[in-house]
Amino acid sequence: MAGIADTLTQGLGRDRQRLELGALSGPAVLFTVAMIAFPLLYTIWLSFQSFSSTGKQSFAGLANYTKLVADNEFWHGLWVTIALYLLSLVLQLVFGVWLALVLFHARRLPGIVRSLFISPFMMPPVVAGMMWLVILDPSLGAANYILSALGLPPSDWLASPSWVIPTVALIDTWQWTPYVALIVLGGLQSLPPSVYEAAQIDGASGFKTFQRITLPLLLPTIVTATILRSVDLLRFFDIIYITTQGGPGNASNTLNIYGFRVGFEFFNIGYASALMLTLTAIVFGAVLAFNRLRGAVAW
Amino acid sequence: MRLKTHVVPPVARVALSMIAASVAVSAAGAAEFDWTKFQGKTVTFLANNNPVSQALLAHKADFEKLTGITLKVDGYQEQQMRQRLVTVMNAHSDEVDVFMTLPSREGQQFAAAGWYADLASMAKGEAAPDYDTASLSQALLKAGTFDGKLTSMPMNIEGPILYYRTDIFKKCGLEQPATIRDVEAAAKKLKACDGGITPFVSRGLKPALPYTFSNMLHNIGGSYIANGKSNLCSPKGKEALETYSRLLRDYGPPGVVNYSFYQISALYRSGRAAMAFESSNELRTVMEGGERLKDTALIAFPAGEAGQVPTAIGWGMAVSAYSKQPDAAWYFVQWATSPAVQKMMAVQGIAPPRSSVASDPEYRKWIDEEPVRQQWQAALDVLAAKGSSEVGYPIVANPESREFIGQAVQDLILNQKPVDQACADADKGLDALIAQK
Repeated sequence: MAGIADTLTQGLGRDRQRLELGALSGPAVLFTVAMIAFPLLYTIWLSFQSFSSTGKQSFAGLANYTKLVADNEFWHGLWVTIALYLLSLVLQLVFGVWLALVLFHARRLPGIVRSLFISPFMMPPVVAGMMWLVILDPSLGAANYILSALGLPPSDWLASPSWVIPTVALIDTWQWTPYVALIVLGGLQSLPPSVYEAAQIDGASGFKTFQRITLPLLLPTIVTATILRSVDLLRFFDIIYITTQGGPGNASNTLNIYGFRVGFEFFNIGYASALMLTLTAIVFGAVLAFNRLRGAVAW
Repeated sequence: MRLKTHVVPPVARVALSMIAASVAVSAAGAAEFDWTKFQGKTVTFLANNNPVSQALLAHKADFEKLTGITLKVDGYQEQQMRQRLVTVMNAHSDEVDVFMTLPSREGQQFAAAGWYADLASMAKGEAAPDYDTASLSQALLKAGTFDGKLTSMPMNIEGPILYYRTDIFKKCGLEQPATIRDVEAAAKKLKACDGGITPFVSRGLKPALPYTFSNMLHNIGGSYIANGKSNLCSPKGKEALETYSRLLRDYGPPGVVNYSFYQISALYRSGRAAMAFESSNELRTVMEGGERLKDTALIAFPAGEAGQVPTAIGWGMAVSAYSKQPDAAWYFVQWATSPAVQKMMAVQGIAPPRSSVASDPEYRKWIDEEPVRQQWQAALDVLAAKGSSEVGYPIVANPESREFIGQAVQDLILNQKPVDQACADADKGLDALIAQK
């Protein structure tokens, strides 16, 4: 009898525990559904709708997706997005790791200098965009003034179809390198000192230590920084919108800028939703791929 | 004031005359007007945070004191304001009662979507005795009338005008340009005469340039649509594309493809441009600091083969079709576009869309204080008398049509395509837009 009673008590206890767990996690689940699932499902639904210029709506099936495959502007936007992503990511990782090493080794650097190093990413991107727009103005900006003072020819910077992607990548690198550096700095501070002591005893040079010990041990941290920057870079919007609005011509028209203009300037919400879902799928794909990579390089 | 419009069909013009007449009669009949009729209500105003709304909202407290209505202002930059409006209107929400609108840009589209309330019927029932509809620019009223429905009341009048440096012109032996050819000849001479100055600057940014390009096209005698098809590849269309892009490519500043009003005003104000073809609204910005006050002259853009057909547009105030209190909303609209308020805005540099304000002694006194203000008003008079409100294609997809015009001009500025290909590519995309219902 006692055994049955114990089992019953245990069963009731488990049910109560489940109820409590449900009650506690319920608000979080509801919040997630309201803030993530609903907008996503609504966007999926919108992507199967057609909207006329006057806002009239009708079911379009897969028409928005077939239009997307045949749309040269979509493929161009995808190319611009990927080019800008790769260039910015490589620059930010290289300079981010370098800056982290500088901050890690220069322990006696005054706090104000450290703060200055990391200040760009605290600036709102709109402010950064406006600031660089003024600096890079081919007629009035400081950048060409410095070039001419050095005896170099001026550049059109953001106004040149060939230079606009490298220029935007440089602006983003200026802003987000400190963010990457902070993540890498955290990784550096957690590395085991015993490995470095062993390397020192073995007479490894500074470069060999970096190449054979620091870099491999930092890889999981670098992959984490890569994931975080990938999500932002593939959705690149604010600085481009402020500085070029996708121009000159369509030279910096990323998928995000293109989708925004289709949706909010031309009011074709259905096609814009299809574009944005495709971009979301690309971002998810990149995150999943890097997550797998992070698993592979973990130590 | 008369303004050509390519947007309003003749039948709508007749309807407009009837509306204006009925409003005037009604206004005269409203002997005792109760401004406090909607006391205690709250009206929400979706505003574009530009100099026009800033000048108006400086007097917000006066409206609230006069009517007892609370005015809730929802202010955004232009593009963000449209995004908010599209979201609200697509949801058929009553969150917005009154909004600012550019009939030349989105008028057809919003009217076809049914987002505008008909102001004529409101004005007929509830107009203050001094709300003198007849003195409002009939041209701008026409530009805001779609299918016989008056969709907005004009807040200001504006358009691109030519700012030029009299001292540099004098130094280089140049006279005021009278034709587009004179402008180009002057730019050529300025380039040779003073290598340190940009001879000519105007809009090169893709979505922004149709505002100035349309003036060039119309002056040359071109049109956007002929026989239901896009007409950029017509001889006049190609001439306009080539002339506009050549002026910017050969005589404009480096990086002009990213230039809109902000960069143009900054360049001209800093004394580094001899001619600037930019909005009349930029007068205040250009004259900031006072350096350009004594060496600048202003004129409407010089004539082409078709004479002067300047671009003349204005912001309007519309009542949302989904507002649950359209009558209270109309009270705000009629106060904001009344002669008294427009006079207060005028002396803050907002060009009045009313003939009675333009000739008001107090306003004339303000104008006469500076020669540059006199020239500004003279140029605006030309805009009001001869202007066209057609900026981009007169179709529902007007905003999208501006992209194709901008792309064609940029292709030429950047030497990426010959004119035949640039115009043909644009016409192809534009024909598809014209065919859209």
